[in-house]
Amino acid sequence: MTLHFTPVWFIAVPLLLAFLSPLWVRLRLLMPILLGAHVALFALALSWIPTVRVAPLLETIVIAPPLGIHLHLDAVSLLLVALFNVAGAVVSAFLWLSHAEPHLRGRPAFILILLLIAGSSGMVLTGDIFNLYVFLEIVGVSAYALTALRRDKQALEAGLKYLIVGSVAAIFILFAIVLLYLQTGQLNLAALARDFGHIPAPMQALIGLLMLIGLAIKAELFPFNFWVPDIYRGADPEITALFSGVLVKAFLFVLFHLVFLLLADPAVARTWLMALGATTMLVAEAVALRQQDLRRMLAYSSLGQVGLITLALGFASEATTAGALFHMVNHTLIKLLLFLLTALMLRRFLSVRLADLQGLGRAMPLAAGLFVLGALAVLGLPPLSGFASKLWILKGFAEAQVFWPIALILLAALLEAGYYFRWIKVFYAPEPPVTAGQAEGDWAYTPLLLIAGLLLLLGVAPFLLEDWFVQAAKALLGRGAFLESVLGVQP
Amino acid sequence: MLEFLDSPRVFHGIYLLGSLMLFFIGLYGLLAKRHLLKIFVSIEIMELAVYLILIALATSPGETAPILSDGLLTFTGMADPIPQALTLTAIVIGVAVTALGTSMAIQYHRLTGKVGVGEMTELKD
Amino acid sequence: MNLIVKLLFLALSLTPAMTLLTWDGGVAWPLFGGITLLFDLNPVPGFFLLLLALGAPLVALPMLRGPRDEPAYALYALLLLGMQLLLLAGDFIGFFVGWEIMTWSSYLLLLRSPRTNLEGAQSYILFNLASAFLLLAGMLVFYSFTGDFRIHAVTGLNTLQQLSLLTLFGLAFLIKVGALPLHLWVPRSYDQAPDVFSAFLSALMSKMGIYALILLLTLFPEGLAGLFGQFLKGPAAGYVLAWIGVITSIVATFKAISQEDMKRLLAYSSIAQVGYIVTAIGVGSSLAIGGALFHSLVHTLVKLLLFIAIAGIVLQTGHRRFIDLGQLIGRMPISFFGVLIGIIGLAGMPPLPGFASKYLIYVSLLEAHWLLLLAAMILSSTAAFVYCYKLIYGPFLGHANSPEARVATEAPWQYLVPQIVLMGLLVALGIFPGWAIEILIDPVLTALGMTPIGAPAWGQLATAYGGYDGVVLMSVFATVFVLVTAIFFLLRGRMRQAGSPYDLSYAGEVPTAETPLHYGAGLGRELRRIPLVGWILSHSTQGFYAGLVRQTQAAAGLLSGLYSGNPQTWILLAVLILAATLTVQTLTGA
Repeated sequence: MTLHFTPVWFIAVPLLLAFLSPLWVRLRLLMPILLGAHVALFALALSWIPTVRVAPLLETIVIAPPLGIHLHLDAVSLLLVALFNVAGAVVSAFLWLSHAEPHLRGRPAFILILLLIAGSSGMVLTGDIFNLYVFLEIVGVSAYALTALRRDKQALEAGLKYLIVGSVAAIFILFAIVLLYLQTGQLNLAALARDFGHIPAPMQALIGLLMLIGLAIKAELFPFNFWVPDIYRGADPEITALFSGVLVKAFLFVLFHLVFLLLADPAVARTWLMALGATTMLVAEAVALRQQDLRRMLAYSSLGQVGLITLALGFASEATTAGALFHMVNHTLIKLLLFLLTALMLRRFLSVRLADLQGLGRAMPLAAGLFVLGALAVLGLPPLSGFASKLWILKGFAEAQVFWPIALILLAALLEAGYYFRWIKVFYAPEPPVTAGQAEGDWAYTPLLLIAGLLLLLGVAPFLLEDWFVQAAKALLGRGAFLESVLGVQP
Repeated sequence: MLEFLDSPRVFHGIYLLGSLMLFFIGLYGLLAKRHLLKIFVSIEIMELAVYLILIALATSPGETAPILSDGLLTFTGMADPIPQALTLTAIVIGVAVTALGTSMAIQYHRLTGKVGVGEMTELKD
Repeated sequence: MNLIVKLLFLALSLTPAMTLLTWDGGVAWPLFGGITLLFDLNPVPGFFLLLLALGAPLVALPMLRGPRDEPAYALYALLLLGMQLLLLAGDFIGFFVGWEIMTWSSYLLLLRSPRTNLEGAQSYILFNLASAFLLLAGMLVFYSFTGDFRIHAVTGLNTLQQLSLLTLFGLAFLIKVGALPLHLWVPRSYDQAPDVFSAFLSALMSKMGIYALILLLTLFPEGLAGLFGQFLKGPAAGYVLAWIGVITSIVATFKAISQEDMKRLLAYSSIAQVGYIVTAIGVGSSLAIGGALFHSLVHTLVKLLLFIAIAGIVLQTGHRRFIDLGQLIGRMPISFFGVLIGIIGLAGMPPLPGFASKYLIYVSLLEAHWLLLLAAMILSSTAAFVYCYKLIYGPFLGHANSPEARVATEAPWQYLVPQIVLMGLLVALGIFPGWAIEILIDPVLTALGMTPIGAPAWGQLATAYGGYDGVVLMSVFATVFVLVTAIFFLLRGRMRQAGSPYDLSYAGEVPTAETPLHYGAGLGRELRRIPLVGWILSHSTQGFYAGLVRQTQAAAGLLSGLYSGNPQTWILLAVLILAATLTVQTLTGA
C-alpha cells in the first residue's frame, strides 16, 4: 500500500498524535516527537509548492462541495500552513533543547500545542464556514488552556480573561454564521460568496459587523484588543510566541479571506479596514513607549505589526497584499525569536522588567545580540527581512499614489524605534547585571540562531520567496478563481 | 383558535423574539454580574440563544425530525438536518469551553480566594 | 590569536581603499518585484570613498589599543560596509540600505562607550532614523513620479512635486549633517561616543550627509537654479540652504567657544564647519561645489587629526575638561603639534589647505553677489579663532590643573602614527592646493556637468579673484616658524619662571586655589554679555525636543489607560461599537 499524501494530513497527523499521546510512557520523547511532526509536515508543505502553483488542491471529505466539507489548499493557505509548522517546530525545538519548566514539557503542553497548530492549519485550509467555527473553537480552547498552563495566579487570571473574551468573540462569529446559513442555506465558503450579494443590505451589514467584530477581537485589532497585553503578560513567553506567531496570523487570514470572498468589491470595506489597521498600529506603538515589562512591550509591538499588516491587506492591491503576507512571515519569525529570548531572559534574571535587565549584554551576550537583530528586523532596517517586506508594502502604496499610509507607517516605525532602542540601551548599560536564575546551555540557542539566519537570508535575497508571495496574494485576492475551482463555474 | 401559531411567520417570530430576549438576558448578565461563574452562565445563555435561533428559524411548523425510520422512507416533509447537526456540534464545543472555564475559575479561587472578575488585578503593572 | 584578530581587523579597515583601487564594472543584485540594487563606482561618490579609504585605517589603528574587542571590530567593519554600499549605490534602495546599515552599526558602536547615557543614545538613533525615514519617504515619492528607483535627473515635474522631493530629501540630509535646528544629536553623540570613534563620526559620517546633499542637486536637471529661478546671481532655492548653513555655523561657533569640554567643543566645531559646506552647496556654482568638496577633504583630515589627538590626551590623563588639563606641551609634544596643525587647518589660516577651501567658498559667494552671507560667514569664521585658541591653550599651555596632567606621558604609537600621517597630508595639501583641485576635485565637477576649476600649477590656487602659490607661502611660513622657535629657545633661559601658579605679579588681586587660572574657564560666561551671542547661547532646541518627548509620553499614558480594565469593560466597548455602527448604518441606509 502506498502512502497517499493529502492536505488533510496537516490536521489529521497532529490530532492523531495528540490523542495517541496518553499511550506514551517515555515523557522524554515527547518534545522530539513534537519537533519531528512539525518538521515532517513542513516538508510535506514544501513538496506541494509545484502542485499548488498550477491549480489549487481540493480535498473532499465525504461529499463533494458545495454540499460536503472540503479543504482548499492554494498558494496562500499553503504558505500559512508551512509557516505554522515552522513556528511549531521552532517552539518545540526550543522547549526540547532548553531547560524549560516541567509544565511546558509535559503531556498537556504536547497535546495543546499540537491542537493549536492543527486548529490553526484547519482554519486556514477549510472551505466550509461551520468547519471554520469548529477549528476556531479548537484553537480557542487550546489557547485558553495553554495560557493557564502554569497554574499560578497570573497564568490563571490571564487564562480566565482570555476565555471570557474569546468565548464572546466566538458567539459573535457563531451568530454571524447562523444568520448566513438562515439567509442563504449554504455553509460552503464559495457558495456563500456566490449568494452573499443576494442577501438584503441591512442583513449584510449586520452579518458583516458581527463577523468583523468577532474576528477583530480574535485578530487583536483596535479597539477590540484591550485584552492582549494582559494575556501576553500572564502566559509563558514560549506560549506567547505561538500566539503572536501563529494564532493571530491565522485569524488575520480568516478575516481577510472572508472579506475578499464575501464582498464582490473589496473597496467597500477598504477605508474601514485600513482605518482599523492604522489606528491599531499607531495606538499600540504609542502605548508601548511606556511599558516597563518586556512581555507587555512585545505584546504592544505585536499589535503594532498586526495593525500594519491589516493596513496593507485592507488596501487589497496585489503589491501590498504580497508585501503583507511577506510581513506576516517575517513577523512570525521575529516574534518567535523575541519571545523565546524573553523566556531565556526570564529564566536567567527571574524578571523581565526594564530596570532588572540592566547589563544583560554582559550576562547573556548572545541573547542581547539576537534581541538587537530581532529589533532591527521588526523595525524594518536593512539588511534584515523586515526591510524587504515593509519596502514591498510601501512600494505598493507608492505605486497606487496613496501617501497617507506611507507617512503613518514610517511614523509608527519611528515610535517603535523609540522603545526598542531604549531597551537595547538598557541591555548594554555599563552597570553590572544582577542574575539570580540559572544560565542556559548553548543548545537552547540553536533554533534562535536558525531564525536569525532566516531573517538575514530573506532580507538579502527576498527573491527566493518572491514568486510564492505573489502567487499567494493572487490566490487571496482572486475571488473568481476561488469560486471557479470549487463550484466549477464562472461567477 | 391557536391556528395562527402554525403559520411560519408567527412561529418564527415568536421563537426569534424569545431567543433574542434570552440573548440579551445573557448579555446583561455578562456585563453586569461580577461573579465568574455567573459570567460563564451568562455566556452559556447567549450561546443557547444563538442555537435556538438556528434551530427555530431553520424549521417550519409541521416538519418532522430528519430521521429515516420504519414509517418514513423519503425525505419529504422533514426538517433541514444540517442545523441540528451544527447545533449538536456547537453544544459540545460550548460545554468544553465552559468546563475549562469553570475548572480554571475553581483553581483561581483556591489560589487567591477571589471570585469576582473585577478583582483580577494580578497582571496590572 | 590576539595579534591575528587585530591584524585581520586592520585589513578589514583597508576594504574601502581596496574597493577604490580594484573596483571594475558594476554589480547588480535583484531584490524582488523588479527592484534591482545597482552598485558602481562614479567620480562623485569616488571622491567621498577616497575620504573613507583614507580615514578608515587611521581610525582603526588607535581602536586596536587596549584589550581585544571583537564586537566593536565587527561593528566597525559593518559600518564600513554600509558606507561603501551607500557610496557605490546607483539606485535609491541600495543607497538606503547602506544608509541604514551605517546608522544602526554606528549606534551600536556608540553604545560601547561607558559614557553614553540614555538621552544621548536615544537622540542619536531617533534623529538618524527620522532622517532615514524621510529619505525613504522621499524615495517612494520619487518612485511614484518616475516608476523606478535609479538615481537620475527627473524632468517634467511640476513645482509641487519638485518641492515635495526637495523637502523630504533636504530634511533627511540636513538632519544627517546636523544643520540647525536639527543638530541636537550631534554634540551629544560626538561627546559620548568612544573617544576614537568620535573622530570617525565627525570626520567621515557627516560627509555622507554632504555627499547626499550633492546627490540631491543631481536629481534636478538644472540643479538648484532650475527650481525657483535666480536670486541676485545665485539660485534662489540655494539661498535658503546657504542661510541655513551660515546660521548653523554662527550659532555652533559661539556654542563651541563656550564649551568646557574638549570633545563637545570639537563637536560644535564640526557642526559649524559642515555649515560652511552646506552654504557652499547652496551657492551651487562650480567654484562653490569645488570649495565644498575641498573643505570636506580638509575637514575630514583636520577632524581626524584633532579627535585622535584629543583621544590620546584623554587616554593618558583621564580628563576631558579644559580646566583639568594644561602644560602638556612638554610631555606630549607630538600631540601638541598635531593639535597645532589641526587648529590652523580648522581656522582656515594660511598656509594650510583650510585657507584654500574657505577661499574658494568666499569667492563663490562674491560671484553670486550674496554679500550679506559672505559677511556672516566671515564673522563665524573669525569667531572660530577663539575656540581654536582654547583648544591649543587649554590642554597644552598654562599650568597643569590636575595631578594626572602633571605626570602624563606621550600618547601610545597607535595614536601618534595617524596624527603624523595626517599632519603630513595637511602640509602637503597646503603646499599643493592646485594638485588637489586638478586631480581630486575637477573630475568630480566634470562628472556633475560643471566647469572644472583648474589650476595653473600644482602649487598654485587660482580663481578669477586672485590666488596664491602654496609653495612660496609654505616656505615663508616655515622659515618664520623656525626662526621664532629658535629665538624662543635661545631666550628661554633668561625668562623668569613662575614659582607657583598663583605667583602672578601683574594681577590686581591675589588668586586663591579656588580661582580658575585658565583663560578659557570663564569664556562662556563672559560671552553671554554680548547681545546677540548671549541670546544664542542662552537658547537651545533641547527644550523643544524634550517637550515633544514629554507630550508623546503623555499621549501614550492617556492611551494606555484604555488597556487597563477588565473583560467586562472590553466586551461592553465591543457591544457599544457594534450597536453604534448598526444604528449609523440603519439611519444612513448605507
